[in-house]
Amino acid sequence: MSQLAVRRDLKRRLSKFTRDYAIVVAIFLLMIIFTIASDYFLTYRNIRNIFMQTASLAIVCIGQAMIVTTGEFDLSLGQNVCVTSAVMAYLIKFAGFNPWIAILCAIGVGALVGLSNGVLIAYAGIPCFIVTLGFQMIARGAAKIITNASPIPAMPDEIKFIGRGFIGGNEYGVPISVLIMLALFLFFAFIMQRTKFGRSLYAIGGNKEAAYFAGINVKGHRAITYTIAGLLCGVSAVVLVTRLDSAALTNGNLYEFDAMISCILGGISLAGGRGKIIQALFGAIFLMLFFNGMTMLNVNPFVQDVLKGVVMIGAVALDVVRNRRR
Amino acid sequence: MADYILELKNITKRFPGVTALDQVSVSVNRGDIHALVGENGAGKSTLIKVLAGIYHPEEGEVFLDGVRTVFRTPSESQQKGISVVHQEFKMSESLSVAENMFLGNLLYKGRLVDWKAMRLQADRMLRDLGVPMDVDTPVERLSVAQKQMVEICKAVNRNCKVLIMDEPSATLTEKEQALMFGTVRKLKAGGVTVIYISHRLEEIFDLCDTVTVLRDGAHIATKPVRDVTRDELVSMMVGRTVTKEYPRAGTQPGEVVLEARGISRKGVLENISFQLRRGEVLGIAGLVGSGRTELARALLGIDRMDRGEVLLRGQPVRIDTFRKAIKSGLSLVPEDRKSQGLVQIAAVSRNICMVNMDAAASGFVMSAAKEREISREYVDKLDISTPSVDTETQYLSGGNQQKVVIAKWLLEDSDIIILDEPTRGIDVGAKSEIYNLIVSLVAQGKSVLMISSELPEVIGMSDRVLVIHEGRLAGELARGEATQERIMSLCV
Repeated sequence: MSQLAVRRDLKRRLSKFTRDYAIVVAIFLLMIIFTIASDYFLTYRNIRNIFMQTASLAIVCIGQAMIVTTGEFDLSLGQNVCVTSAVMAYLIKFAGFNPWIAILCAIGVGALVGLSNGVLIAYAGIPCFIVTLGFQMIARGAAKIITNASPIPAMPDEIKFIGRGFIGGNEYGVPISVLIMLALFLFFAFIMQRTKFGRSLYAIGGNKEAAYFAGINVKGHRAITYTIAGLLCGVSAVVLVTRLDSAALTNGNLYEFDAMISCILGGISLAGGRGKIIQALFGAIFLMLFFNGMTMLNVNPFVQDVLKGVVMIGAVALDVVRNRRR
Repeated sequence: MADYILELKNITKRFPGVTALDQVSVSVNRGDIHALVGENGAGKSTLIKVLAGIYHPEEGEVFLDGVRTVFRTPSESQQKGISVVHQEFKMSESLSVAENMFLGNLLYKGRLVDWKAMRLQADRMLRDLGVPMDVDTPVERLSVAQKQMVEICKAVNRNCKVLIMDEPSATLTEKEQALMFGTVRKLKAGGVTVIYISHRLEEIFDLCDTVTVLRDGAHIATKPVRDVTRDELVSMMVGRTVTKEYPRAGTQPGEVVLEARGISRKGVLENISFQLRRGEVLGIAGLVGSGRTELARALLGIDRMDRGEVLLRGQPVRIDTFRKAIKSGLSLVPEDRKSQGLVQIAAVSRNICMVNMDAAASGFVMSAAKEREISREYVDKLDISTPSVDTETQYLSGGNQQKVVIAKWLLEDSDIIILDEPTRGIDVGAKSEIYNLIVSLVAQGKSVLMISSELPEVIGMSDRVLVIHEGRLAGELARGEATQERIMSLCV
């Protein structure tokens, strides 16, 4: 190998690294801007609140990032959070379930929705767009039926700590929901980077056919990935319901898209096979910081939606331009 | 003074870190079929891209018809009379043959598209070239050879003076190739100059008038084809004398390891039986579409077989998924390296350890360090040229990519290796390395089933050759009996 080829190779890898972690730089820039613009922004309480608000979305991001790694996406995740919220609250309030059993049931329902998605996509061969869009509607409808379209409030005290509790005191403690989120990210980052299962997902996302010809059970892996994403929707619902103290139809609304935007902002390739799921966490944090800061600066919420679109297209455009130059 | 249609003078094209073309000067006689040969990475594609207006050389001049010309964009190059038929066709699959031939160049009557004139003209052109076909058929329903004809017509349609063909025969059967040669000769008779790029040297002697050899971005020689021999050409390409093209293991095949009995799949395979022995290279010849790849797929459980039985070391086995085939010690180096063989955006090390992940894992947990260590071992063993094992395989040359595919099966340590077109589209040097690998595999007591469209390769490498024709076993030829003529007569 010539020295020049080696140098070119190093350059390529360096550019991959900067692409992967550009989001971290963006987060710092955003924080600097908001800190200058608002006195309240950089306070422990505000940052903690941002993280608590991020937790339920970020947990959904894990699943979406795994699916995106296989080269697909799931549009049902947000409504899956909604329906599992409803199931959990209904079982506690109207069916007299022990809250912990209700939580397990909710997570189970989430996984079941994911499994149904996965089986129809991987084994029946229906495109993920159709199946997950269908389940988005099914889940939304089911949530309406269960809640009769009105919020179910007032969760029992024994589970409220999940969404609202802190370790180390209420003043400067660490939120339990954030710890759950971080633990899940660490766990699934390990799964993705260091296990045969995770490596197989990258291979599938890189090239399904080549993965098949390497003896990877492509269908099975895809089905399991959707199931995991569904299960995480259940976990997200538990965090969300206990934080909001209510299961409403707005729970999880648009999470599927926010999760995709987080993946994109984080630099995970929508084509599959590239990116680490921790990048989705950074993407989600960026998104939440962005909205928090905007709200603090009294930017009109309708304008915020417009900005969200602009930021997403901008992030992808930057990446596309950079790839073209190479 | 000779009549040159195209003259390149001192063309230099640099990329960051590499000089792809170094002071290359070539002159092309008007009306010649001019072959351009060289190993992968020799600079052939770069040279074509310069002529096609895709790359812009840093130094040097191009003269077209004696006039100094600069090709700034592909469309400018086309307007000036240079057309390229690429290996991957650039056609709109759902549109008809006629429409594709006039794509970007439609005929109008007033302001409306003149379909009638286009269909007539397309039909006439295809007939003239000896390849009549229904001009209303959507291109997606054509065979590869037919698509190529449409591409050629499309190129010629644009007032083409120089037609560049990039490995046109790589995916054709012998019969289709003969037809394509006829077309190219007719183009020549019609005054078109052809620049013909190929890895198959036989073709150059059959078809071309002049040959230019490139090596490592430098121009080595341009000579009339009748003045060079095959061996001279090969040694000019690789820069050394290749003494023996096909190595032999010199071992005797042992006991039967795989036996297929009456393999049938409706409409594809009919009652195929054969035996594969330990330490044997069994060649499978036949036209593309005759059922060679389908036979491999049925054996490996990728496609279901309707009838038939497979025995491994005398024991009947039921292989109904590819994963089961792998567990039973079978493996496949698939025909399409890019889409089936490799995850192109994954690192060399990931690809090598993709089948046998356990080799780099303890329990469920993979070790990246171990992955790299194993991969380095195979990179050394197979002499894979790559900056590092972390490099994505898409940046490797075709021959090195193929070695990565083979490495992953070596790591799996399969006993029976099925190679489907193992040397397609790779250069002479890498080919001979692949042949050496095959020999070392059988020397270790493994068995190889080699499907190939290149008859010299099948004949040179195989202990026995099975010939498949229309899904049936048309014949079996022992080493010594297998000649190109005999195989072809069984193929058709």
